[in-house]
Amino acid sequence: MRVRVLIPLLVIVLYGVVPFALAGNNYVMSILVAALIIAGVALAWALLGNLGGMVSFGHAAFFGVGSYISAIVTMKLGVPVFAAMLLGGAGAAVAAVAVLPALRLSGPYFALAVLAYAHIFKILATEFTTITGGAGGILGIPTLPRVLGYDFGSKVGGYLVIVTIVLLFALVYARIRNSYYGYALRAMHDSEDATRVVGVHSTLLKALMLFLSAFMTGVVGAFNAHCINFLEPDYAFSSGWTMLPVVAAIFGGYRTLTGPLVGAVVVYTVDQLVFKSLIPSGHQIIFGVLLGVMILFAPDGLIPLLAKKLQWVRQPRGCRDPRTESVC
Amino acid sequence: MLRLDAITVQFGGLTAVKGVSLSIGAQEVVGLVGPNGAGKTTLFNAISGLVRPTAGRASFEEADILKAPMYKRARMGIGRTFQIPQPMHELTVRQNLLVAQRFGAGRVDEAKVDEILSFLHLSDKADRDAATELSLSELKALEVGKALATDPRLLLLDEVLAGLETASKRSFMKTLTELHARYRISILIIEHDIETISNLCPRVCVLNYGQLIADGTPQEVFSDPEVIRSYTGGGHD
Repeated sequence: MRVRVLIPLLVIVLYGVVPFALAGNNYVMSILVAALIIAGVALAWALLGNLGGMVSFGHAAFFGVGSYISAIVTMKLGVPVFAAMLLGGAGAAVAAVAVLPALRLSGPYFALAVLAYAHIFKILATEFTTITGGAGGILGIPTLPRVLGYDFGSKVGGYLVIVTIVLLFALVYARIRNSYYGYALRAMHDSEDATRVVGVHSTLLKALMLFLSAFMTGVVGAFNAHCINFLEPDYAFSSGWTMLPVVAAIFGGYRTLTGPLVGAVVVYTVDQLVFKSLIPSGHQIIFGVLLGVMILFAPDGLIPLLAKKLQWVRQPRGCRDPRTESVC
Repeated sequence: MLRLDAITVQFGGLTAVKGVSLSIGAQEVVGLVGPNGAGKTTLFNAISGLVRPTAGRASFEEADILKAPMYKRARMGIGRTFQIPQPMHELTVRQNLLVAQRFGAGRVDEAKVDEILSFLHLSDKADRDAATELSLSELKALEVGKALATDPRLLLLDEVLAGLETASKRSFMKTLTELHARYRISILIIEHDIETISNLCPRVCVLNYGQLIADGTPQEVFSDPEVIRSYTGGGHD
């Protein structure tokens, strides 16, 4: 199916079918919103990894900073919620400045440096009690507002907001990926010198990807704060906000645009709706096993695996080679 | 155009390039030769910005380039190839050239890219994956193509003929001669083969143990006793 058909179809399903089909089921809608929050962070994480060539274990820092800034500016300065969410993203991007010295590191060293930053931000949120409320947290964060009579604070309203955020981020990601900047960023992974020697300012491009990834994560964190109306450091800066998106992105295929999104929705909804009903306590073990199997047998992730299978099925029978899955 | 003044490059206790002074004029073609480990590639790295000299001065078109990072030198007009080809991965041949042109020359001109592809006999490979679907001679041509796409005034060619079969080497040499005539740029080329360098370059510089020991026409240089000694193993006091 061509992209021209697929995209309008997806938009109709996401905005026209899902909200009406699940409007009466707050539980499923909550799970879907949570899955999309993870999808947003997974996309931001994959952008940094796929375009910036950096593996981060510290996206919880940007998530937490975005959520705290948005909550504080709405409560203490009276900034409207949607504007505050953008400020949350901007704040997370500013916080990423602290990570800049780590750009000279690569691989596991960068990943661990960002993890350390996440811990520092968590400690700051705990210690600056006058602003953040300290370990006790912040209660009564404003919900998403009512706009032109429509209540975005409802479950369906929240879904519409987060699905819009994620789609916009995916669009931005796609535009960058297919631009000359995207080409240069992708090429940098294997040889940074090969790009620098033709005039690419590789450090600047990597820094821009870091800021963009932090902004995206911060906006999603801010959205989450206005959804749950409560924040405390252990929750906002929880390593879960890094690990779940990483698992989702890798499960779906982090080198693809759709992989992190599909991965997040599949991982979270199937875990919560199916595995949790089978094993109420410790249900995550099933996904642990599935992720292990996926990494072993399809390390590129779910979307590339499906694409490969689909290509194989579409081939004429005489051309199929089950060993190589080659194309005639 | 390019002026190096007492350039020295040290790696810890090792002096790879020692006080090299060298000038290259506009549209000049200069060969850089020397035994293995003489410091030729290190000198290229110092000119292109991959390593920072420990001492000395370097200018390009009257501008001081010593503190300029690699990407800036490329944008100033210094193009280079690597001894081991470094295609940009995940990109096609055409995309490699387009990225080089977009960032190095600061604009995109697809007609110019097509012209370079045609000139380097890469037109039929334009949409192939650069990292996985090219032969060695095509990879070498791509290296030159990327550098050309940045609109250089000085081209540093690091052993672009190395590893090629005789026929490919001859064809590539012809391409390099045409390249100079067509694009009217200065070329500094590292090459081991003395016959090749004598045919290509009216001027040859010789490095030995990081020092410039000769600079002149091929006939002058290759009859110099010190150069002969350096190639036969007795050149360092």
